[in-house]
Amino acid sequence: MPRRSVWLAGLATSVLTATLLLLAKPSVTANTAQSSTAEVSIDNFSFRPQTLTVAVGTAVTWTNRDDIPHTVVSDNGVFKSKARDTDEKFSYTFDQAGTYPYHCSIHPKMTGQIVVH
Amino acid sequence: MLGEGFLGTAAPRYADLVLLLEIGMGLALLIGAVLARKRMFRAHARCQSAVVLVNLAIVLLVMVPSFHVNVSPNIPAKLGRAYYRLPTVHAALGSITEIGALYILLVAGTNLLPQRFRVTNYKLWMRTVLVLWWLVLILGLATYLRWYVPGVFRK
Repeated sequence: MPRRSVWLAGLATSVLTATLLLLAKPSVTANTAQSSTAEVSIDNFSFRPQTLTVAVGTAVTWTNRDDIPHTVVSDNGVFKSKARDTDEKFSYTFDQAGTYPYHCSIHPKMTGQIVVH
Repeated sequence: MLGEGFLGTAAPRYADLVLLLEIGMGLALLIGAVLARKRMFRAHARCQSAVVLVNLAIVLLVMVPSFHVNVSPNIPAKLGRAYYRLPTVHAALGSITEIGALYILLVAGTNLLPQRFRVTNYKLWMRTVLVLWWLVLILGLATYLRWYVPGVFRK
């Protein structure tokens, strides 16, 4: 193989590698975003965990594992779900630090809170 | 009224209040029936009329809106589940019973209906509505238990 062809092949490989690395960068970002999620389970007329502490920007997902519908309603009107039936979910992203108490509007004794720092 | 109830279940305050009112009204209808047997017809009429009209107000102000939000969007898809089936049967039978009770009030207590729409066999109508009323009350109690007490009537 002529020296010029070797040089071109090396250049092409470098460009291809650089392109692949650039394309790979967004997936690294996506993994970071996926890690800032948290789960609350609704089961047997209670939120579990009852108090959840998360970082600012975290998306919290409530999943209803009970066999009847429940809602997730912020005490101070920040978020409010419709009735979520069995295995249905509700998500909210917390963009500001603070404490967010919430309850189920169908069953007011069911309470929980999200602490965001 | 949307705060915690006072009966120790997961129900909101208004649901506890409605439950107690409905049980009280069911008992009042039985007392009203006793008044009729004792030939105290004026007291009987007042007692039964008050119950039927107060119940109509509760149905229109509380039960219909709750049914519209929580149950009707899931009919017929989820009728296989007690959570939706119980209030649906309660609502259907309850509507028939309340209409029957209002019809008796019109026939027995007013002259608004033309003669051809009036029944004469009052006792049969009243006893039938009384039995239906208690059946509906029991269905309402079952609905309350399913909605607000963990582990009752699962599936």
